[in-house]
Amino acid sequence: MPLLILLLPSLILLIAVFALPLFRYGWLSFHADSVMTGLVAIPNQGANWQRFIHDARYWQDLIQTLRFAFVSVTAEIVLGLIIALILNQPLRMRALIRSSSLIPWALPTTVMALGWRWIFNTPYGPIDRLMQSGLGQSLNALGEPSIAWITTVYADIWKTTPFVALILLAGLQTIPSDLYEAAKLEGASSWICLRRITIPLLLPYLGLALMFRLAQAFGVFDLVQVMTGGGPASSTESIALYAYWNALRFLDFGYSATIMIGSFLFLSSLILIAWLVITVARNRAAGVYAK
Amino acid sequence: MARDHGGAKSGCRSLRKMKAARFMIIALLIWSLGPLAWQLYTSFCTDQALVTPFASLDQRWTLVHYQSVLNSNPPFIRYLFNSLFAGVVSTVLTLLLAIPASYSLSKLGKRSALFFKCLLIGCALFPYVLLFLALLEIARYLQLGNSLIALAIPYAALSQPLAVLLLTNAFSDLPPELEDAARVEGLSVLQRFRWVLLPLISPAIASTAILVFLFSWNEYPIALTWISDSDQLTLPVAMARIAGSSIHSVPYGPYAAATVIGSIPLIILVMVFQKPIVSGLTTGAIKG
Amino acid sequence: MVSIVIIASSLFGLSVVARQPDHVSILMPAPFADSTAELVKSFNQQNRGRIHLNVIKGPLETEAISDLAISSLLLGDTPFDGLLMDVTWVPKYAKAGWLESLDNYFSNNEVSALASGASEGNHYQGSLLRWPLTADIGLLYWRTDLMDQPPRTPQELESISQKLQSSGRVPYGYVWQGRQYEGLSCVFLEVIDGFGGDWFSAESGQIGLDKPAGLAAAQWLDGLIQRGVSPRAVTNFNESEALQSFKSGQAAFMRNWPYAWAELQKNDSQVKDKIAITTMVAQTGHQPAATLGSWGLSLLKGSAHPESTVEAFKFLTSEESQRYLYSQYGYTPTQKAIFNDQDLLKKHPSLQSIGEALAYARSRPETPVYAQVSDVLQRKLSGTLTGMTSPTAGMQQAEQSTTQVLEAAGAAP
Repeated sequence: MPLLILLLPSLILLIAVFALPLFRYGWLSFHADSVMTGLVAIPNQGANWQRFIHDARYWQDLIQTLRFAFVSVTAEIVLGLIIALILNQPLRMRALIRSSSLIPWALPTTVMALGWRWIFNTPYGPIDRLMQSGLGQSLNALGEPSIAWITTVYADIWKTTPFVALILLAGLQTIPSDLYEAAKLEGASSWICLRRITIPLLLPYLGLALMFRLAQAFGVFDLVQVMTGGGPASSTESIALYAYWNALRFLDFGYSATIMIGSFLFLSSLILIAWLVITVARNRAAGVYAK
Repeated sequence: MARDHGGAKSGCRSLRKMKAARFMIIALLIWSLGPLAWQLYTSFCTDQALVTPFASLDQRWTLVHYQSVLNSNPPFIRYLFNSLFAGVVSTVLTLLLAIPASYSLSKLGKRSALFFKCLLIGCALFPYVLLFLALLEIARYLQLGNSLIALAIPYAALSQPLAVLLLTNAFSDLPPELEDAARVEGLSVLQRFRWVLLPLISPAIASTAILVFLFSWNEYPIALTWISDSDQLTLPVAMARIAGSSIHSVPYGPYAAATVIGSIPLIILVMVFQKPIVSGLTTGAIKG
Repeated sequence: MVSIVIIASSLFGLSVVARQPDHVSILMPAPFADSTAELVKSFNQQNRGRIHLNVIKGPLETEAISDLAISSLLLGDTPFDGLLMDVTWVPKYAKAGWLESLDNYFSNNEVSALASGASEGNHYQGSLLRWPLTADIGLLYWRTDLMDQPPRTPQELESISQKLQSSGRVPYGYVWQGRQYEGLSCVFLEVIDGFGGDWFSAESGQIGLDKPAGLAAAQWLDGLIQRGVSPRAVTNFNESEALQSFKSGQAAFMRNWPYAWAELQKNDSQVKDKIAITTMVAQTGHQPAATLGSWGLSLLKGSAHPESTVEAFKFLTSEESQRYLYSQYGYTPTQKAIFNDQDLLKKHPSLQSIGEALAYARSRPETPVYAQVSDVLQRKLSGTLTGMTSPTAGMQQAEQSTTQVLEAAGAAP
């Protein structure tokens, strides 16, 4: 019992900051609470949810957010794995390499978001100058909807790949080296080793990195708010940004809460599915390995 | 990648691998540090040089951007101190709550410990930006707005999952005989805690502290909604606000100077605390 | 005798110490905070010991300062007494219950002394909520070294641009604000009105986007980019980028606010003394329109010192202050008298054009959900300008979405 008392303060804080808001959103989502009601909550019989389901803008933002999350996380994991494999050997200057690859991850997102705005600036930024002198054509990176979202993905990959690589490197170092030696004795190529030993044993780490990164990327906010403000043509708007604007710009708290609780439900089911898939894959891999 | 491995059959495998590794390392360094180097370059260029970089100019280099950033009102350094303050307070509060909690978690039965761990992982997976509206309401009702100390409350909550999981691992790794021996010696719970357990898990505490500090230093959405007084802004919010605060036609010089000044403390931090950061992240990944 | 004097003076001294001056704070966007710094200093000197005015410098962009003001107000315990507000915020802030009426502080004479454009957008539902500091309006800047007469119709603007571009005298014809932000709504309002349409009327609830004039306006803006009259990058331009381009001699025309005049007359400007201003082009038979972007001071509910705050408002908007702000920073005055000031007109001939343009000032839709209505337009228009949708489809969708937004907010009449 005294053990639980030690746990209590931490638990209370978690409930206050995580659970309370969710209940509040659930309640608010059934109320009109906006500038038109003078910022007073009035029950509106699910009108928010009706609007939510038919809100083309929300679904566009959701697709964009998922697109951002999947593309950036996939790229981060593939690149991170390559980097981790390379770094997983005796190296000089390991400390220096580690620190310098940690720097992008450690900087506040808003700091470099400003930097990216300048680097991708048309026509004065370095990328655009390169394009102009190389291809004779301006890229207009932040003004073109088909390109702008890729620049945000790029900025996210820049920031997070080193971090993913470090996690995977830690995983690689737990794989006993005699496994590889045994495989080599049986004449397995490096490619086979990678597929049969490295990736299956790394799966838990890959799964972990995947889930954490997906959840984080799903809530992308700082980067797009500062870098593009959601434009052009709302092609970089994420659901968090949409919810933020509904609250602070449009003063529509009821609907903002609906967006957030709706997105939460969606993400929870997504993570549940991902969890199941990973568990099944892991069990199957373990089964193959046992044979 | 596949080709490197295919070539591994030949005799000069290790040499090739070394070369590939060196190439990758250089690529990695350019990738990570290139954009920062560009900001550094930009921050010393005159506006004219930024717009026409190839023209021969009488005046190419300048410190004026740094002057404008440092002499602004309030001075930019102020934001660094605010972030430092919020970071330290949050770290202390986080540890105060997380150390007892993780000690108890490491002593709990397997079932209940697993339950709490799943709860914590669930919280860690939550995109916390979605909490901002309710947290704003909490700040309003409890009058916590515009206070850097109050900011430590949500920060401590958001850091709890990571901190508790990391510290629970550290406590679980200690041999249980140790505490029994101390108990036999007649040490009270507090004494055991203070003189036996804490010193032994201090590396884990250091890793946790630095990760929590980094999180609090960099946090944006909550600081954005809780702090509106310009004297109280933390660095990330101040940076975002600079984005809209210049009437220069090309305001990128001051931006760049601000990014450089804003990056220096973190670069130093990472350089100095590289080891605990990496070990915190990796044990978090391996055992979490 | 001496002792009495000493006692009296010490009592007097005590009473001065005991009476703290009223601390009044006003939040302003960065450029306004900078340009009013001198005025604030002299106000504080005049009122030493009575009122101390402190201007809080916010961000520059309208959206950013609005976000900041709103989050301060939502956090409660009003952190400032006054707020320098954009004209489009008034209905929203009023409806949210954040503004104190100014009816008791300003007389009818004072209201009627305002110039025609400047008097708009200060009232909501019959009560005065904002006192104008400057009457920003959208203007067409043109190059006097490239043409003798400015264009009057959209077609003329395009043909002059194309002639100048094909003869190689300028790389681009016309630069404006095409990024997805409030500036794009301002640009559009001028064009749709110039084609004889109306974006949205808050009184009748009529939306004019998917009407002939709305479609023509979207088509014209899109065509400017398609035909190369405006650079592609204009889809990411705000005021400062348009100004940068025009200032370096890259374009023959620019749409911008009055502040640009002073910037263009600086020594590093390539077009110094080669520019003039006029109203936006309009289809023959229709009046030109100038988007009203005025800024004004509002008193926040919960202010501890309403009287002192209004006193500061009156000082900052006095004729003398306006003359100073106009001649130093190019801020358009709001009082009729200043536009007739012969001395000022002689020194600053551009004041006359601004005064003329002010007569054509048009407010953006006056509704508490303006932010949503404008946001819909910006999104759809930006989609059109960046080639994602055709102008027709873009305007159809914009009209539909506007209807939905109004219905959802319960703001449809």
